[in-house]
Amino acid sequence: MVDIDRVGGVLMRIKLVLILILVFSSTALADYRETFEKEFVNKPWVGSKVVEEGVCVDCHTSDVMKPDYLGIPQEWKMSIHYENKVSCHDCHGGNPSDSAVSCGTPHSGFVGIPKYKEVPKMCGKCHIGILKQFNDSKHGKALMTSGRGPNCVTCHGSHKIQKANMNIINKVRCTRCHSYKRAKIMKQALFMTEKRISDINHSIRQLRSSGASTEKAKKMLFRTEAGFRTLFHSVDVSLVKGRTAGFSRKLDVIEGMIADIYKEIRFRKNFSAFLFLLFASLAISAYFIQKNNKN
Amino acid sequence: MFERTRQWIEVRLGIKEIIDSGLREFYLPRGAGFSSTLGAVALVAFLIQAISGIFLLMYYIPDTAHAFMSVRIIMNKVPYGWLFRSIHMMGSNIILAVLFLHLVVTFYRISYKKPRELTWISGAIMFFLIILFCISGSLLSWNQLSYWSTTIVTYIPTLIPGIGGRIAEFIRGGQYVSGSTLNRFFAFHVAFLPFTLVCMAAFHLFFIGRTGFSTNPGSSPEGDSEPQSVYKREINANGMPFYPDYLLKALVLVMVYLASIFFIMTFFPGLFQPELATVQADPAMTPDVIRPPWYFLAPYQIVKLIPNKFLGISAILILVFIFVFWPFIDGVNERNISKRPLLRVIFILSITVWLILTVWGGY
Ligand code: HEC
Ligand code: HEC
Ligand code: HEC
Ligand code: HEC
Ligand code: HEC
Repeated sequence: MVDIDRVGGVLMRIKLVLILILVFSSTALADYRETFEKEFVNKPWVGSKVVEEGVCVDCHTSDVMKPDYLGIPQEWKMSIHYENKVSCHDCHGGNPSDSAVSCGTPHSGFVGIPKYKEVPKMCGKCHIGILKQFNDSKHGKALMTSGRGPNCVTCHGSHKIQKANMNIINKVRCTRCHSYKRAKIMKQALFMTEKRISDINHSIRQLRSSGASTEKAKKMLFRTEAGFRTLFHSVDVSLVKGRTAGFSRKLDVIEGMIADIYKEIRFRKNFSAFLFLLFASLAISAYFIQKNNKN
Repeated sequence: MFERTRQWIEVRLGIKEIIDSGLREFYLPRGAGFSSTLGAVALVAFLIQAISGIFLLMYYIPDTAHAFMSVRIIMNKVPYGWLFRSIHMMGSNIILAVLFLHLVVTFYRISYKKPRELTWISGAIMFFLIILFCISGSLLSWNQLSYWSTTIVTYIPTLIPGIGGRIAEFIRGGQYVSGSTLNRFFAFHVAFLPFTLVCMAAFHLFFIGRTGFSTNPGSSPEGDSEPQSVYKREINANGMPFYPDYLLKALVLVMVYLASIFFIMTFFPGLFQPELATVQADPAMTPDVIRPPWYFLAPYQIVKLIPNKFLGISAILILVFIFVFWPFIDGVNERNISKRPLLRVIFILSITVWLILTVWGGY
């Protein structure tokens, strides 16, 4: 007995030591984890979020950059543009893959810092509908004629641009040039529709996390939301009020779609609850049958 | 009518004799409890996967452009498609839990000892086959979660020095997870793995049939612990008949298994479907957190923790080796775990370490 146990025991101990080594060797070189992750994340096949960061960011985060500008790439990385792969050169122009000529050379289409009045044109390359609304608005006209109107950056910032919402309209920002009264009326006109949009957004998120397919409703909401939010840039309260009914009808349709999805989810839940109860009671009956069978 | 049909068949095939001699008189040790039926539950669970899988196969399109959409159509357009998909998906996770339990019970009873080494080895191989099933199956839905967890899982072989990169490339069908990976995994999932698994299961059952069920040394002491040198089946006369006693016990747990699938479907429908799983796979968009599936967290944590690639992958391979060939490594001839304190320590320690690594890797 003792003999067999000794042989086996030695083997056991070797195995034990092996396991211990595996577990504790980690603490010896804790910083390996970092290298591992760095190496791992930098593998080409992992892909990276922004495909065309290019040399702009490399150089603009390096030591040659003047301190005032150093924070810009960091701010940009927190923006909705970064998430959507809109990179430095999409706004500033230039060639992101050629470090020799890219920065400050006009012939590669480099725009540099846009002048105050030219900012809407820069953003409007992509946000076409908004540029149109903006140009026709009192803000746009004031900007173009006297230069006293706001430009896009006044309200959205330039690099750390976030998803837009109504909080952009606030006492600090809108009282720089005129009283808050007009801004307030505007905000009130937007309020009901905005609230519905955000409620629907909330439902969609909830539905998605429970695995339902919300693609269609989401697409439609996205279009409606974009159309409605463009409207603000007209800064024309009566226009906003006049168009609200139309948007409201669209939102009705979307809410109908969402109600249907909820209904379907409830059905599924009830159905699987029914199956659960069915099999649970079958389990219980089977239990008693096998118990009786013994006796 | 029914009676006559039965009679007709009985006269020609003698089913009753098969039942009597093959099942009624196949005795399990007395006192075999529910824990002895886990293997049978796993078998039924696999059949459920196979059946629901065949239904999914009717609508699924193994192509990067359509895979995600076809799953979505199964979930939303195909009548009761959601039911089959949910059963298949929940089942794939719960089946692993059943296997873990089966494994723990088998180990705890030290049932792998002579003459049942082959049963253990075939079981261990099936365990890995099921994990491969889970990995290959998860990629098929082609969402962000499955895409990136596959990326991580297929990274592990690259740690093998020299040929590692080649192996990973072979598995992925290229430098990274792509359409060819999808096609490979699809073929693997619906053709190669089912075939292999069924063969292995047949061996496993054959081995069990030849050796008989093992006793539970804790409750009923082994008849004779002398080393055995000729073939002998555990007869267990006046034990518990396979039919109907054992099958009824198994039936109870099968029902519990199904009930737990539907329990999760009712109360936690999103348990295995986090946000990321609702977004189509996008190779250009790395999610903030990528991690392997839960059953892979422990090995992943091991390669992450060990300060050298080669050591890391060797550790994994050694562990796999130890696991598969454990019956030959454990040299002590005592089957009662209460008389083997060291083994008990190893048993508890490895389960705890595994759990810790899993939790650690998951956060
Ligand atoms: C080789 C380094 C380098 C690269 C590459 C580079 N920049 Fe610059 N950039 C600079 C420096 C240095 C300045 C600051 C000039 C100064 O002191 O006013 C600058 C300034 C700027 C400015 C402010 C312009 C101004 O007149 O002050 C913008 C806008 C800009 N860079 C955009 C870009 C874009 C877009 C790219 C990629 C297409 C890019 N940069 C690539 C070094 C670089
Ligand atoms: C959405 C368009 C957009 C993107 C993307 C963008 N910029 Fe700008 N950038 C602007 C605008 C508009 C201005 C001028 C307004 C201002 O003063 O903030 C500007 C100004 C600058 C300036 C001058 C800042 C100052 O204080 O005068 C620098 C330097 C600059 N950008 C660099 C970058 C770099 C580097 C990137 C990429 C990491 C980048 N920008 C990405 C729109 C953009
Ligand atoms: C290269 C094209 C491009 C340029 C130039 C550009 N954007 Fe964008 N912008 C996008 C994309 C793409 C999105 C993300 C899609 C979306 O949500 O509409 C976006 C999103 C936004 C959003 C958030 C929209 C939302 O859904 O709430 C704001 C605000 C915004 N941009 C402002 C600006 C401003 C201000 C400028 C000029 C400084 C600018 N953009 C320049 C492409 C561009
Ligand atoms: C850079 C200065 C400036 C800022 C900042 C500014 N505005 Fe204006 N706003 C103007 C000018 C200029 C006009 C047009 C001249 C006028 O009617 O007084 C105007 C007019 C308006 C009008 C009236 C349009 C009409 O049809 O009568 C509204 C509403 C308005 N702004 C809302 C806002 C809101 C809301 C904000 C804050 C998000 C804001 N403004 C921020 C300069 C600004
Ligand atoms: C007076 C401040 C102001 C100015 C100037 C301004 N915006 Fe906006 N912008 C807003 C506000 C406020 C919202 C949100 C409206 C809402 O929530 O209904 C918004 C929303 C947006 C959106 C989001 C629309 C969507 O799809 O959700 C984009 C994009 C945008 N602005 C781009 C621009 C561009 C480009 C310019 C310059 C041409 C510009 N904005 C000028 C205040 C401004």
